[in-house]
Amino acid sequence: MQKIYEPFQYLKAGIRIWPLMVRDIIDHRELISRLFWRNLISRYKQSLFGQVWIVLMPLLMVGTFAFLKKTGVFQFGATSVPYPLFALTGLIIWQVFSTGLITGCSSLVSAGDMISKINFPRESLVFASLAQAVLEFIIKLVLLAIFLVIFNYPVTLLGIILFLITVIPIFILTLGLSLFFSLVTGIFRDTVNILSVLVTLGMFLSPVVYPLKISNNNFWLQLNLLTPLIDAPRDALLLGKVTNWSMWGVASIFSILVFLVAWRVFYIAETKIAERI
Amino acid sequence: MSDLLIQCENAGKKFAKSLNRSMLYGFTDIVRGSFGMFPDSDRLRKDEFWAVQDVSFSINRGETLGLIGPNGSGKTTLLKMLNGIFLPDRGRITVNGKVGALIQVGAGFHPMLSGRENIYINGAILGMSKKEIDRKFDAIVNFADIGDFLDAPVRHYSSGMYVRLGFAIAVHCEPDVLLVDEILAVGDRDFSIKCYQKMHQIRQSGVAIILVSHSEYVIREYTEQCLYLDAGKSKFLGNSDEGISSYIKDVVSKKNPAINSEKPNALSKKAVIKSLHFEDGTNNVVDYLETGNALNLIMELEVKEKVLKPIYSINFYGDNGFLYCANSFYDGLEFNELLPGKHIVKVAIPQLHLPVDQYVCSTMVAEESPVNVVDCEYQSYRFTVGRAKNARGSVKLPAQWNIN
Repeated sequence: MQKIYEPFQYLKAGIRIWPLMVRDIIDHRELISRLFWRNLISRYKQSLFGQVWIVLMPLLMVGTFAFLKKTGVFQFGATSVPYPLFALTGLIIWQVFSTGLITGCSSLVSAGDMISKINFPRESLVFASLAQAVLEFIIKLVLLAIFLVIFNYPVTLLGIILFLITVIPIFILTLGLSLFFSLVTGIFRDTVNILSVLVTLGMFLSPVVYPLKISNNNFWLQLNLLTPLIDAPRDALLLGKVTNWSMWGVASIFSILVFLVAWRVFYIAETKIAERI
Repeated sequence: MSDLLIQCENAGKKFAKSLNRSMLYGFTDIVRGSFGMFPDSDRLRKDEFWAVQDVSFSINRGETLGLIGPNGSGKTTLLKMLNGIFLPDRGRITVNGKVGALIQVGAGFHPMLSGRENIYINGAILGMSKKEIDRKFDAIVNFADIGDFLDAPVRHYSSGMYVRLGFAIAVHCEPDVLLVDEILAVGDRDFSIKCYQKMHQIRQSGVAIILVSHSEYVIREYTEQCLYLDAGKSKFLGNSDEGISSYIKDVVSKKNPAINSEKPNALSKKAVIKSLHFEDGTNNVVDYLETGNALNLIMELEVKEKVLKPIYSINFYGDNGFLYCANSFYDGLEFNELLPGKHIVKVAIPQLHLPVDQYVCSTMVAEESPVNVVDCEYQSYRFTVGRAKNARGSVKLPAQWNIN
């Protein structure tokens, strides 16, 4: 096992770096799972309700929006499915992006000392934070299943399969943006604050808690690539079909590109970040 | 596998003093580099300096290298480059084999998790698989010797316990090269000794060790070779004893004027010490002696007024902080009064069993009581005690062996 360290070696490697990047992730899958468990255990060790927060958060939010809708503070057209189901599915998908991005961004900075004192593939930290998002997503699906039973709302097997497929791109997009913004956060700590404002804005710009129909021709909603990434899996689950495959396809390809570029940039920049974090 | 583990060729690393500029440079380097325009690494931009410059050395299986130098001389930066945390800005570093680094102990520990959980996480970070850790878990726990604290969150650990656990994990991950920054100083004596013994043991199994330490004793005892860094540059590379000597010489030459000004002022000056020099057993003037050999100190006195019941004293202050002293008063000796005129005081030490170190020697003449100082030369004379040939350790003990 020979390693050579030279100036700008990761930049100079060019295309040959891709197999290396993939190898690094495969070789360190155990580290990623360790880091994932570490985050998971430590996060809820000091909280009163522990892991319950994972399901409590979307529940409270659905409650809030259902209340706002019922009182007429928020006005949007009727949904073809019971509103709590609609909002909960939307929120669960949305939170993959929102919480995944926020924890992913701070994953490098919160590892602090480790980054500058130990040599290990730093992308494992970001990948581990995505694993966290996946786990929370799965736990929330249980909540969603309970809701479906309560509302006595039938879903088809095809719907479930389509849902699981169409929801993948939002994870890829989240991972890509996390890789990129975790680097930026390493340099400018206020990135997380700015991002959390932007994410809140993004939630209202995307059809998370309101249906797309009412503002179908809205320029922002059309432009928003998150729209198909949220709408497609929700439609798949609740209606059993995806209405707009082409939009979803464009958004998926875009997500994959973001991920590949961000991963590559991360690999180049990680040693520079170690000097500065 | 070849014996050469690390080869470091003209490695250099530059940093910017200002945080803003360092971010700017890092950013522009990456962006420009992405388009194939590589910045001129050799040039220093505004506010930049070389933290490590043109350092070359190599280390083979089973060898040890000490890194010494004042604070900020680039020792840790060099270690981080060897470990691949930083890429060099110049030169090339080739590493054959697995590197275990202890740059800051407990860097990967999560304060909320227990020692047990942290062993698994830290082990994974250092590249061990779960199976490997399972296999070595008991050995790690035994070595760390943290007792009941194993299942307590590491935030409740003392800094010494952090070091224990961190060191235990690092040495058990079977590295080919072990990099150790100045960290063992935190552990208590027993543990330090245990660590050094462990390092000695793994070294014999073929592990190369690079050790940063400010303790000359540690460098002398545990490393054969040493690299003396000063302001990022390699000032000396070779035998540890010589490296330490050249380091100490530099440190002392910088601070000597201050020492001379520390003369006590209440001197009666009835007599004045004109000079002091050292001679070996064959009457050659020396300032270096192997430990255990004969030494004569010759002091020249000019007496102006009569000194009753004179007391003579010779003090060796070691750089290790200890004082070694010969004093005629405590030896219960009484000498005749000193009459005006020139006198030679000769102090013979048949076997100078001082530990290997650099010493400053001071000498004093007092009248009737040691506090009644007539004159003293306070730490003005330098003297080096070196390692005895065909011997181990700092002092060669004069022993008689009776075997029945």
